[in-house]
Amino acid sequence: MNSIEVDGLSRTFSGLQAVDRISFTVAAGEVFGFLGHNGAGKTTTIRMLSGQLRPTAGTARVAGCDVTIEQERLRPLVGVVSEHQNLYERMSARENLAFAARLYGAPLARIDEVLQQVDLLDRAKDNVQHYSNGMKQRLLIARALLHRPQIIFLDEPTRGLDPVVGREIRRLVTELATQGVTIFLTTHYMEEADELCRRVAFLSEGRIVALDTPENLKLAHGQRSVNATLDTGQTLTIALDDEAAGKQLEELVSGGRLRTLHSTEATLEEVFIQIAGRGLSE
Amino acid sequence: MSWRVVAAIAQKDLIDAIRNRYLLVALLTPLSVALLLRVMVPGIEELKNLTVVVHDPGRSTLVAQLRAIPRMKLVETDSEANTKAEVEKTDANGGLVVPPNFDADVAAGKQPKLTVYLNNNKNAVEQARFRVVMERQVAALVERPPPAELNWINVSEETGSSTAGGINISEMMLPLLVLLTFGMTGALVVPLLLVEEKEKRTMDFLLTSPARLTEVIAGKALTGVVYSVLIGSVLLAVNRQLVGNWPLTSLTILLGLLLIVAIGLLMGSLFRTTMQVNTWASLALLVLITPSFPFLGSPKVLDVAMRFIPTYYFVEALKMSLAGTNAPRLWGYLAVILGCIVATFVAVTWAMRREQN
Repeated sequence: MNSIEVDGLSRTFSGLQAVDRISFTVAAGEVFGFLGHNGAGKTTTIRMLSGQLRPTAGTARVAGCDVTIEQERLRPLVGVVSEHQNLYERMSARENLAFAARLYGAPLARIDEVLQQVDLLDRAKDNVQHYSNGMKQRLLIARALLHRPQIIFLDEPTRGLDPVVGREIRRLVTELATQGVTIFLTTHYMEEADELCRRVAFLSEGRIVALDTPENLKLAHGQRSVNATLDTGQTLTIALDDEAAGKQLEELVSGGRLRTLHSTEATLEEVFIQIAGRGLSE
Repeated sequence: MSWRVVAAIAQKDLIDAIRNRYLLVALLTPLSVALLLRVMVPGIEELKNLTVVVHDPGRSTLVAQLRAIPRMKLVETDSEANTKAEVEKTDANGGLVVPPNFDADVAAGKQPKLTVYLNNNKNAVEQARFRVVMERQVAALVERPPPAELNWINVSEETGSSTAGGINISEMMLPLLVLLTFGMTGALVVPLLLVEEKEKRTMDFLLTSPARLTEVIAGKALTGVVYSVLIGSVLLAVNRQLVGNWPLTSLTILLGLLLIVAIGLLMGSLFRTTMQVNTWASLALLVLITPSFPFLGSPKVLDVAMRFIPTYYFVEALKMSLAGTNAPRLWGYLAVILGCIVATFVAVTWAMRREQN
């Protein structure tokens, strides 16, 4: 069963095509990565799928709701973690969550549960303006979880965070996925997408240019190779996709000249560069 | 419309606004000015050392009433001619000449003429205090209409004039203060509440939540209304003697504050940054309160120009309801205000929807 079904979705801003006829599905409980450069259309897609923005063309169903005409039914079923840390800074974490609970009609008892889940219970009374970026990010996730949504949209959840906090956020995402929550994730970090996502879509200039599992994308677009170090100290790189590679490897092994042998795979980043023409950081 | 959502937004804003120092100052400023006015124009019971020279050959009830006011000092003179000179000589607040058959004329429903000398060597506040005492004591003789016409004359001028004694500060200040209060709350606090949501991107959160755009607008409006009502109530409570018709005054004030809150929301929907609001809202506030300024002897064109400012109708309606007037013109003003409110709320919703898409 699919949580998200998108068909030919487009959005234009004053003649600029921000999202151009994209189509994909996301299965229930799947972690789906949506990768692209700045301005590729990731956030616009999230805004359309979460009912904030009307598509110019195409259709999308999220949690069984048509995003164009069933926005009110859709909103309690999804949680959104924006790329901006859009919290009420003069309020405490508990007050932020209490406000969200009132909006969603969620029980106030749920506040402590989500604060516990993101490890902020002991700082619940502190004003958010005194929080670190990592704590704010965790609070954003807590707010998105408060009403037990079926689908969570995470827009760049680890951007600008230090590696330790980034790892903590990834742990949370994994935990949510194991609980059956569908995650729609946009990120600049390819390793993150590789680690978390069952499938990823590459978005370039508003269009999906590739969509598959990270493994398949690497197999289809990346180069597999073997690095061999000989007893003379010489190193060789043998491309496995080359037809002559098998014979060359056999000779090395049988010749007894081999000291070490390591296989290397293309990274998702390299695959992205190959498909989109430039890296995410460029 | 979900009132749970509207109430949640208003509750959040009511708490959040007072934690914002800037907004807190904006809320408290008119309240402080109102309390200052109370000190400047106190009630009769609080008046101190008011000296009035009187010539009262008929031993009238009015002078007896004045004599009964604590800390009121009456200096009697033997002739009308001596009254003015005695005011100047004793540095009294003013002088009063009562005709010999004053009580009988009042009882007969005639409007006897009282001559009141005002010492314009006294400052404006002291003059106003004297004026307030005289008006209230005359009004207290019988119910409306006023039983006697006060003919005010400045002691340094020979001719009487309707504006002698300066401006009645309390009558002038109350509409100004009410408008200032609502202006500070509606035209400054409300747009900031809305713009801050946009600037800090919390509006994105609100619009991914079950809150609809109209509920967000209603929540902000409710916040503005609650603050305006709270501060406006204090303002009226401390100046309660000036209210002639409570139901009409309350209705006028309710419509007036809704109008200004709607204008504030419109500004909030058009602006994107707090800096824009701070820059333009001050200008807007000045324009909005302009109709409450006393343009004495101003050219007719200015009066016509004022009619293009929606708050003009509020000020006029407020003056009439404070004076206890229930004229058709008042209802006409209230209808204009209501029309402006509806039009402004429609414009706000349109502007917000447009921005959202």
